[in-house]
Amino acid sequence: MTKKYLRMTLNERIQHLNLAVNFTLLVITGFALSFPTAFWVSPITDVPMGMTFRGFLHRLCGVAVVFLSGYHILYLAFTERGRGIARDMIPGLKDAKDLWETLKNNLYINRPAKLIKMPRFNFREKLEYLGLIWGTIVMTVTGFILWFKTEWLQFFPMWTWDVARAIHFYEAILATLTIIVWHFYSVVFNPDIYPMSWAWITGDLTEHEMEEEHGLELEKIKAQQGGELKEFGEEAAVGGGRIYPARRERDEQGGRKAPSPRGFYGIVRGFNETIKNWKGT
Amino acid sequence: MKWRKDGSKGWRILRGGLPVFLIFGLMLGLMLGGTARVAWSDNSLCFGCHQDESLKKQDSRGKSLSLFVSEAVFKNSAHKKLSCSDCHTRIKDDKHAEGGQKAADKRVNCAPCHEKAEKEYLQGLHSKMIMKGAERAANCFDCHGKHNILPSKNNKSMTHVSNVDKTCNRCHADAVFVKEHALGAAIPKEEFKESVHGRTGEITCTNCHGSHSLRSLIDPKSQIFRSNIPQTCGSCHPDITKQFRESVHGVLAARGRSDSPTCTTCHGFHGIKTKADPNSPVHERRIAKTTCPQCHAAERISREYRITTVPVKSYYDTFHGLSYQGGDTFSANCASCHGVHDIRPSSDPKSMIHKDNLQKTCGNCHPGASENFAKGKMHAIASISGEDFGEKVVGWVRVVYIILIVMVIGGLTFFNFTDWLRKTIERRHR
Repeated sequence: MTKKYLRMTLNERIQHLNLAVNFTLLVITGFALSFPTAFWVSPITDVPMGMTFRGFLHRLCGVAVVFLSGYHILYLAFTERGRGIARDMIPGLKDAKDLWETLKNNLYINRPAKLIKMPRFNFREKLEYLGLIWGTIVMTVTGFILWFKTEWLQFFPMWTWDVARAIHFYEAILATLTIIVWHFYSVVFNPDIYPMSWAWITGDLTEHEMEEEHGLELEKIKAQQGGELKEFGEEAAVGGGRIYPARRERDEQGGRKAPSPRGFYGIVRGFNETIKNWKGT
Repeated sequence: MKWRKDGSKGWRILRGGLPVFLIFGLMLGLMLGGTARVAWSDNSLCFGCHQDESLKKQDSRGKSLSLFVSEAVFKNSAHKKLSCSDCHTRIKDDKHAEGGQKAADKRVNCAPCHEKAEKEYLQGLHSKMIMKGAERAANCFDCHGKHNILPSKNNKSMTHVSNVDKTCNRCHADAVFVKEHALGAAIPKEEFKESVHGRTGEITCTNCHGSHSLRSLIDPKSQIFRSNIPQTCGSCHPDITKQFRESVHGVLAARGRSDSPTCTTCHGFHGIKTKADPNSPVHERRIAKTTCPQCHAAERISREYRITTVPVKSYYDTFHGLSYQGGDTFSANCASCHGVHDIRPSSDPKSMIHKDNLQKTCGNCHPGASENFAKGKMHAIASISGEDFGEKVVGWVRVVYIILIVMVIGGLTFFNFTDWLRKTIERRHR
C-alpha cells in the first residue's frame, strides 16, 4: 500500500462538493438567462414555468454559496486546521518565484529543468483560491443588488443597477472560464494527474503526488515524523495527530460531562468532529 | 311585377278559375285558422312538363342542361306564392312560343321586387365583375339559390348565418377560381373555421365583407378598406375601437399612413384567435417576438418614420427580454409597459410611459417601486460612445472586463499550454 497524505478532511470534501454542485448550477441557470435560445437551454425553456424555476434555483444556489462562504470563514477562524489552511494560503514572494521558475522550466529556458519544491498550497492553488474569494465577493454583492432591485433603486439611479448587471455577467464569464481553464487543468488535464485527482473523493494524495506538487510540505512532514513514515489515514492528519482533542478528551479536560456549545463556535467544532470521526453507517 | 301579356292556355284557365280559387282558398284559410297555405297562383301547367326529371335541353354550346324543377322544393321556398311567370318573364324558346311572342331575355330579374338589394348589389364588386365579363362572378341566384330560395332566417337557407361560409366557399375555396381571379393563395376557409369568430357560429363572411354591397379591398367605401377596418371591427367591439382611435397608431392610421397598424395588422384577419391561443399573434409569447417587431424592428418603416429599432434591440438585451425569450410569461413584454390598444407616445400625459405614470406602470409588477425606480434611460444600449451617462459607464465596464477576461484567461491558457507541452515532451523521451 502506497503511503498516503491527508489532503482534505471529510468536512473539507463536503465543502468542496457543495461548492462544486452550487457553482455548476449557478453557471447553468445563470447563462440560461443570458443565452435563452441556445440549444442546451431547451430543457429549461421547454418546460412550463421553466424560466421562473430557473430564476428561483439561481437565487437558491446563490444563497447556498453565501452560507457556504460564511461557514468556510468560521471554519478557517475557529478550527486549528482551518487556521493552518489560512496561514498556508497567504501568498508570498516564493510563490511568484515558483511561478516564474515553472514557466522557465516549461519553456526550456532552465536547462536542465530546475527542481521546484512547493509548499502545502502551491502557487496554482493560491491563485485559484484568492480568485475564488474575489469572485464570490463580487458575485454576491452584485447578485444581491440585482435581486433586491426595488430596495436598491430607492437610493441609487437605475444605471447603477445596469452596471451591477454587466459586472455580474462578465465576472461570471471570467469565473467559469477560470474554472475550466485553470482548475480543470490542475485536477484533470494535467498529464501527471490525468484522468483525475482523486483527492476530492478519497481526501488524500500519494507520496508521488506530494513530491510533484508539494515537495516542501513533504519534507516538513517527514521531518516532523522523524524520518519514520507511517501510513497516513484520516485519523493521523498532518502534524502527526488529531487536529483537536476528541470530545471525550475535551470533556475530561474541562471537567464537564455534557457538551456545552458556546454559541456557533461550539456547533462548528462539534460538527467538524462528527464528520471527521464518521466511519460510515 | 310584370304579368304575362300573352294569352296562353294556362293563363286563360288560371284567369277563369281565379275567383273560384280565391273564394275556395279564403274559405279553406278561414277553416284552418289562417295558417293554411293559400295558393295564389297555379303553376300546374309549368310543372306538368318541368316535374319530369329527365327533361333536358341543349344549350348554345351543346351542353346538356336539366330543366327539372322540383315542385316540392318550390312549394317550400320563400317564393312559393309566386307564379313561375312572375320571375320567368320572358322565355325565349320555340316550345314556349307556341301561343305568343318570343321573349328577348330568359334571365330572371330580381330587381323589380328587390329594389334595395339590387341597388346595393350594383355598387358591389360582384356586379362589377359581371359587367367586366367575368364568368364566375356571383349573381343573385349564385348566393340565394333558384327555385329553393328560403328566407335567410331559415336555417336551411343558403344565406342563413350558418351557411353563408359554405355559400361563399363554393367559389372562394376553389383553388382554380382563386388563382384565376388573382386573389393570391388566399383560401380563407380553413383559417376562418379555426378562428374565434368562426367558432362562435354567429359571425360569418358577410359581417365584415358586407353582403350585397360587398366591395373590393381597394375601394375606399369598402368595409375592409384599410382605414375603415377599425369601424368595421367596432360594430362589435366599440370600446376597443374608441381606445384605438385615440392611440398613436389610431391617429396615424386616421391620417392615412398606410404603414400605421390597424386592427388586422396585429390580430390577423380570417384567422383571428383569442389572446390565450398560443397561435394567436397577440398571444403574450408572440407580442414581443413577431407582432410589435414586424414594424418596430423593420428597416424600411423604422427609417421612413424615424422610429429607431433600438427599443426592440435593447429589450432583447434586458432581463425582461432575455427571460421572455426563454419563455417566461411573468416577464414584461412590449404591451406590459406600453399598453395594448391605447398605446400613446411618452409625451402624452395619459400614456403609461409618461414620466409621471412610470412609477405606477413599473409598480404593476414591482410592488413598492419608488419614485426613483424608473428614473433613467429605459431602452439603453451600452456603449462607450453612448449619449446617456449610464450607457457610457456600462460600456466602459464591458470594455474593461473584456480586456481583463482576454488577458487573464489568455495568460492562464498560455501557462497551462506550456506546462502540458513540457510534460508531454518529457513523456515522449522517457
